[in-house]
This record gives sequence, C-alpha cells and structure tokens, in this order.
Amino acid sequence: MICVEDVHKIYKTQLGSNHVLSNVSFKLHKGEKLGIIGRNGAGKSTLVRLVSGAEMPTSGIITRSMSVSWPLAFGGAFQLNLTGKDNVRFISRIYKQDFEHNLAFVEEFAELGAYLKEPVRTYSSGMRARLAFAISMITEFDCFLIDEVGAVGDARFHEKCNYELFQKRADRAMIIISHDAAYIRDHCTKYAVLHDSRFTPYDDFEVAYSDYADMVAITKVPVSKNIAQYNQTSQLDVRYRASIEDERFRILVQRGDWARDRGDWELAQIEYEAALDLHPYERTYWAQHGHVVRAQKKYVAAEISYRNACALGIPILDVRPFFRDVMKHQSMDEQEFPLHPLGKGNVSLQPPSSQHIKVLAKAIWGVHSLNLSETLDLMRKNSSMDNLVYSMLTNKEKFTFSAPLEENDDPPHSKTVSEKDSDWIIELCQIAQPNLNYSNPEAAIAQFQQLDGVISTIIRAGGFNDWKKVQQLFMT
Amino acid sequence: MADSPYSVNQGFRHSLAVQIRVLGALLLRETLTRYGRHNIGFLWLFAEPMLFTLGITALWTATKSVHGSDLPIVAFALTGYSSVLLWRNMPGRVIGSLMANLALMYHRNIKVFDIFLARVILEFGGATMSFAILGLLFVSIGILEPPEDILKVFAGWHLLAWFGASLAIWLGALSHEYEIVDKLWHPFSYILFPLSGAGFLVAALPYAAQEVILYFPIVHGTEMIREGWFGERARAIYDIPYLAIFNTILTSLAVLQVHKLSSRVVPE
Repeated sequence: MICVEDVHKIYKTQLGSNHVLSNVSFKLHKGEKLGIIGRNGAGKSTLVRLVSGAEMPTSGIITRSMSVSWPLAFGGAFQLNLTGKDNVRFISRIYKQDFEHNLAFVEEFAELGAYLKEPVRTYSSGMRARLAFAISMITEFDCFLIDEVGAVGDARFHEKCNYELFQKRADRAMIIISHDAAYIRDHCTKYAVLHDSRFTPYDDFEVAYSDYADMVAITKVPVSKNIAQYNQTSQLDVRYRASIEDERFRILVQRGDWARDRGDWELAQIEYEAALDLHPYERTYWAQHGHVVRAQKKYVAAEISYRNACALGIPILDVRPFFRDVMKHQSMDEQEFPLHPLGKGNVSLQPPSSQHIKVLAKAIWGVHSLNLSETLDLMRKNSSMDNLVYSMLTNKEKFTFSAPLEENDDPPHSKTVSEKDSDWIIELCQIAQPNLNYSNPEAAIAQFQQLDGVISTIIRAGGFNDWKKVQQLFMT
Repeated sequence: MADSPYSVNQGFRHSLAVQIRVLGALLLRETLTRYGRHNIGFLWLFAEPMLFTLGITALWTATKSVHGSDLPIVAFALTGYSSVLLWRNMPGRVIGSLMANLALMYHRNIKVFDIFLARVILEFGGATMSFAILGLLFVSIGILEPPEDILKVFAGWHLLAWFGASLAIWLGALSHEYEIVDKLWHPFSYILFPLSGAGFLVAALPYAAQEVILYFPIVHGTEMIREGWFGERARAIYDIPYLAIFNTILTSLAVLQVHKLSSRVVPE
C-alpha cells in the first residue's frame, strides 16, 4: 500500500513561494489504478515524483509498503555518452538484476538492433522512448508510476507497451497521469482531479471529468493581444498553438470526439461548437464540426464548416469529398462556388472564415450576428478578404440571398461577436494591420472604439494597406 | 526476501549492501562516461594526473626551483604536486556534479551523497595511483630514494584526502544552490596552490611567515607526507590534531549541507 497523508509541497521561487500541492491525502492498494487529471503545471508530475521518493514533500508523510517504480518511460536518466547497452547495465546494477537477461529483453522489446551498441546521443527521440520504456520494464515493481506514456512511439509500439503494462502487469498498482483523458478512463479504476493545488478523489470517471471541466471553465486564459502578425499563416499558427494549450478547448473537443464516436451527432455538435467558440480560428475541428452537422443533414452549416476549415488551412483534398456531397444535397454547382484554400501572402488575399465575417459585419454594418445563410452567402461569393470587405462596404442592402433560408440554427454562426468591444477590435486590427503604437496597444486600440466609421479610422491609421479594392473605394 | 533490490526498509546491513552496490554502479558509469572506451580508456584516470606531475617535475628540475632545502628536486616535486592534485581535483570534479546527474535522483536508491561520493572516490583513486606509480617508477630508476616511513606517508596522504573529500562534498552541495561556488572555486584553488606547502618547506620560511602559513590546514598534510618520505631531512613542522579538527568541522559542514540539499533537490 502507498499512503499519502496531508502532503504539502511548496517551491521557493524568485517571485515568492509557489504552493503546488496542499493537503493531498490518498491511499493506493495493491492492484488499484489511480488516474490523475489536471491541466499543465497543476502539479501532477510533482505528485508523482513525491510518491516515487525522488523528491521530499515540504510537509506530510508518504509511506510505501510496496516497491514503487521510477516514473515510467522517463528517458532523462540516460547518460547520453553511454551506449544503450551501458545504460541497461547501469540499471541492472542499481536494481541488482541479471544483466544478460535484461539485455536480451531490451534487445527484443526496443527493436534498436545494432544501435544498442551506439551512444544514446545518436538515437532519434522515438528510439530513446523505446529504450526508456524497455528499461522501465526490466525491473519488477508492485506499483508503477506512469507519466504521459500515451505519447510514446508509433501505434504498434504503443500496443506492445499496453500489453506489457495492462495485460502482463494487470495485478499491479499504478498511478497514471496523462493529457489523454481517454487513456485514463480506459485504464484506471479510481480517479482524481488536481486543480489549484487541491486533490479531489473520485470513483467515477464521468463525474471526475465533468467536475474538472467546470473547474477549468472558470479559469481565465488571457487573450493574445499581439497584433503585429502580418501574414495570415503565422497568425493562424499562433492561434492554433493557443488552442492546443487551452485546457478548456481540449476538454470540449475530447467530449465532442467521444460523442462523435458514439454516433451522438447532436451532442458532438454542441461540444465542438462550444470549443470553436473559444478558438474560432482552429482548423481541424471545423472539419470535424462539418462532419457531425452533415450527418444531421444540416448542409448549410456543414458547407460553412468545410469552407472554414479550408480558409483556415486544411488542405482542400482532405475536405473535398465531403464538400462535394454537401453541395450535391443542396443542388449547388461546385464549379460555380468552389472551395477557397488558404494561400501564402497577405491577409487581404486569403479567403474569409465565418469568424472574420462576423468581426467585419460588426465593424461595417454594426450587426451583432448574421444567420447561417447570410454567412454562407458571403463566403461563397468572396474568395478573398479584400473582395469581402469591398462588397460589404458597397452592398448597403447587405444581402442578395443565393442560399436558401431553410435552417435557422443557433451557435456558433449566429452567436454574437464578443460583447466586449476591445476583443473584436483587436481581431479587426489583426485583420487590417493599422500602424499602431505598440508600446501602448491598449490606447492605440481605444481610438477605434467608436463604432461609427471604424473602418475609415483604421484606414487613416494605415490599415488595409495593400487591400487593392478597399483602397480603390476609399481613394474615390 | 533478504536481497530485494527495493528500498523497503530492511535494516542496516541491507542498506549498506544497497549503498555499496549503487556506489559501484555509479563509479563504473562515471569512469565510462568520462574516459570512454577509446584509446587507453580508464587508464586516463591516473595517466592524466601523472602527466601533470611529470610536467611540473620537469619544469621545476629545469628551472632549479628554490625550495629552501637540500632535498632532491624530483622528490620534492613528486610529493608536493601529487598532494595538490589530491585536494584540488576532488572539489573540481564534485562541484556541479549533481546538476549533471539530476535525472538519476528518480532512482530512489541513489542519494545525493552517492553521486558526490562516487566522484570523490574516483578522484582519490586517480591521484593515489598516479602518486604510487610515479613513486615506484622514480625509485626503480634510481632518481628517488624510497620513503623512510611509508606509514607516515600513508597517514599524511589520507589526512589530506579527508580534507579534500570534505571540502569537495561541502562545496558540491553548496554549488547546487549557489552557482557562484563554481565561479569562485577556480581562483580560490589557484591561490591556495602556492599556500599549500607544495612548493616550499615550512622550515625554510621566516618565523613570522611560518606562523601564518600554518593556519592553512593543507600545509600540515603536505609536511607530514614529506617527513614520511625524507625523514629528518625534511625538517617538517605540522600539527595532526589541528588538521584533524579542521577536517572534522569541514566534514560536519558537508554532511549538514548534503542533508539540507537532499530534502530540497528536485529531479529533472
């Protein structure tokens, strides 16, 4: 049994002390598998290090009456100048094991061939991971600590690892931490959430995960205020990074994926839309969203999603078969309104996504929302942002509908642009790139706050600089 | 299971066995990492200090260095410079060694102290073998008389090693928290070299200088080794209790610092 009683861990940093764990208590019996969920930096790895005994708690007691592994598949303990074989020899000595026997196992399991006799420095990261996992398996423990093993290696190796861990060692205790919530759900018998240094135990995964989602939802993630990203691809890349780092986004898409796998299209749609509401410039989940609305025969929404995916960087080839199907169902000609891919070069030349349209509609028309058909109409007709802004500025009546007004769906397309003024203005500035005083972007942005004539103000500030049609319009 | 490889508490003898096994593994790992398997491999362990000593011996012989006695210069250089290597290389290798081996802290059987100790033992072995081999060599080709009292040489050598080891472990533990230790050690060790008694006999100094120089603990060890080797001719002045007390204090500091560090160390 492992018994953790009232453990606290405080790290002293330059900025003061950082209370990573407070009041953590739990017991782990033989054969039990504890999965710990928590966002990056929540202290999961720290807890594992404390349990492993590699690090001491600031206060509290950890007692182990069974042998505990080091954090599994951890590659850092390799001496890079030594060969794989030497590293096996070292571990065999430390744990008093038969070296020849271990070597034979590692040779077979890690599939490194002649590389086993080369310095670890020359290994690829995949090879290191395989060696690390194989070395972890040569020593038998009563309790295994598993920190992100899910990310290691190709599918076949992953399967081998799973066999070693969960079939051959099914009777052992384990503590598993992973970003992959599904991995925890599938392999654990009890669960815990680590949030704001608190440790909350659960018996049921669904309860744990939904509580976790609630805890994460209240946490504010700062919006990137960086406007100086001239080209569209780098802007999108930055936003893509932000989305994969956002735990809220990950939880929502994870739930969306689970619902999709069950064939629950409606729930999947809701989860994906909530996720895309947080990060509307994320590309892969627009395609996923397209699939789940298409399955519900919501073709207008699906067409928008597929167009979004392409506008934000998914290769046309990946989306075309689905897009074709969607067009066929609407009896539309694909040739007449083709998909517009994201290309190189300035923002003005790129196809608009629905989020761009939303921001521009707010800026140009002062409307808080557009419905699906209105959005789709603008997307179909405008292959570039320059065209879009031009036609929005010239088209005072706003719409000539070519798409049928058959559906009146709700989120995310009709969701209003962020009510906070500065948010949509920041997005507008990211699109239009006016010359701002970057030492004080807040103040610079504030000058655009009045809705009336925001576009002309931005143009006067040097925005829409190389947007040919928009510039023409304002010259005359 | 008397021989379980895990550190579920099984008594002192078991712990000792684990400790020795871990030290052995660390020593081999250190040797391999440092010297590799190329050319003469681990022989560098003492070939390197031997080259140092040979170089210094040649230099002092060529310049006929004044050292204030009628002792043969080869013998003088061998005893003097070997002692310097003994106390100077240990801290040099131990400082910063934990940082390089932080990942090993994941193996619960490996303690901070083991990592320091492995390096200390390695350095001690290198310096000692270099001293012994050169001594034998010089004696056998007739440029050096055999030591008069080999036990005294042995005792002096170990007192110096004790000093070096305590200093090394103390500084090693300090250096993990205070980077400046690493920066200061190099100038410090260079200044300490001429003050260590390696290049002169205390008896040859004016009385006032003797008073001062005898505050340096290393001098006592060096003098003792000289007396063991040359007997009366060395006119050695030293105080064993002084060196021993100094070493004890240094050892206590080292143990305390390692203890403090162990509760704080964060593996990579």
